Amino acid sequence: MDSTASAESIQLRYQPAVPIRNGKLMLWLFLSTEVMFFAALIGTYIVLRFGAAAWPTPTDVHLSEPIGALNTFILICSSVTIVLALESARADSGGRAKAYLFVTLLLGAAFLGIKAYEYQVKFHHGLHVDRARRTIYDQADLEYASGLRAALRSVTADTNADAAALAAATALLEQANNPDADPSALALQAAEFSEVPEAADWRLPIVIPGGHMWTSTYFLLTGLHALHVAAGLLVFVCVLPLRLGTARAGLLENVGLYWHFVDIVWIFLFPLLYLF
Amino acid sequence: MATEDSSGDNAQHVTATGGVGNYIAVFVGLCLLTGMSFLTTSEWWPWRDQPGFTRTFMMAVACAKALLVLLFFMHLKHEAGWKYILTLPACVMAIILAASLVPDVGFRLRSAADRAEPANNTRETTIERGQENASDQAPSDN
Repeated sequence: MDSTASAESIQLRYQPAVPIRNGKLMLWLFLSTEVMFFAALIGTYIVLRFGAAAWPTPTDVHLSEPIGALNTFILICSSVTIVLALESARADSGGRAKAYLFVTLLLGAAFLGIKAYEYQVKFHHGLHVDRARRTIYDQADLEYASGLRAALRSVTADTNADAAALAAATALLEQANNPDADPSALALQAAEFSEVPEAADWRLPIVIPGGHMWTSTYFLLTGLHALHVAAGLLVFVCVLPLRLGTARAGLLENVGLYWHFVDIVWIFLFPLLYLF
Repeated sequence: MATEDSSGDNAQHVTATGGVGNYIAVFVGLCLLTGMSFLTTSEWWPWRDQPGFTRTFMMAVACAKALLVLLFFMHLKHEAGWKYILTLPACVMAIILAASLVPDVGFRLRSAADRAEPANNTRETTIERGQENASDQAPSDN
């Protein structure tokens, strides 16, 4: 009888190993894997960047440092607004928390919009995600000259082309057809020719030493980061309709932790991709 | 009942923060640091001819910015000792991952320097090979 009574009197109490909410614990574990994920990507980029015999300058690949800095500023602002949203939720001011979260959503969308504009500029200059669509050659060699001739032939065959630009393309094609023509000199002429507004969309090949490696790493790093930003925005959209009072402060803290991590990744990507 | 208890515990685990003033101060600091990074691309940067120093400076600034975000926006400054359990292993793994790539960087740089002289021969070989083919094969992307 005594043993039964003592068994009934035992009160089990859950003692968490780590004294934080389960959601926050899981989010930190997730962020730990993300740290290693981006560390591997950035580490590989550094290996490729500093191990390459040639690497394009930001000007070569139409990278704009001010735009990169602007995007950094936008993400920093969004980090402030999300943390202010958390403070508002803790103060049980749901309306204010929603307003700050909405501003964060807008800032994140602005970041993605600017990134999309940057991508569009790259695509316009023949710097594509997939190698098959790129018009880059690593050096001015016979393969480049062959590619230039093929592009010029398609231009001269275009009956809708501007007459003046067509004449210039025909003249350049004649030089390119000369078997003794120096590919480097041809590349210089073609680069000047590409500056002609009428010829901007003719996809003439360009010589960017190390351009393929740069394009692959740039789109991989910024693309994966942009996917993380987009995932964050999706979460914001899901959280916005909820009542963001004290009861939801934990949820908002988790969302904020993820968003700050996305900010930290960009803090490292900005100098590595735009300034190095 | 158990659920209520755990939520009660959760309410006690809300992390203390430095307040709005603290956030604004960190924001200003982050903006200043971003400006310092951007300054390295301008004409006023006195160490333009020393890329090694400039890159080290930029990475130091990036680390300082990341630290500010971690400590104040992610509240690690105010968290208890669990933060070390969850963050240090990942950081150590990330550092090992990056450090293990360093020998590859060194070897690549050294072999790139070794190849610097024969590189001209490579171009000649390409030209010879192209002349042997003689035909103008358009690349698939055009």
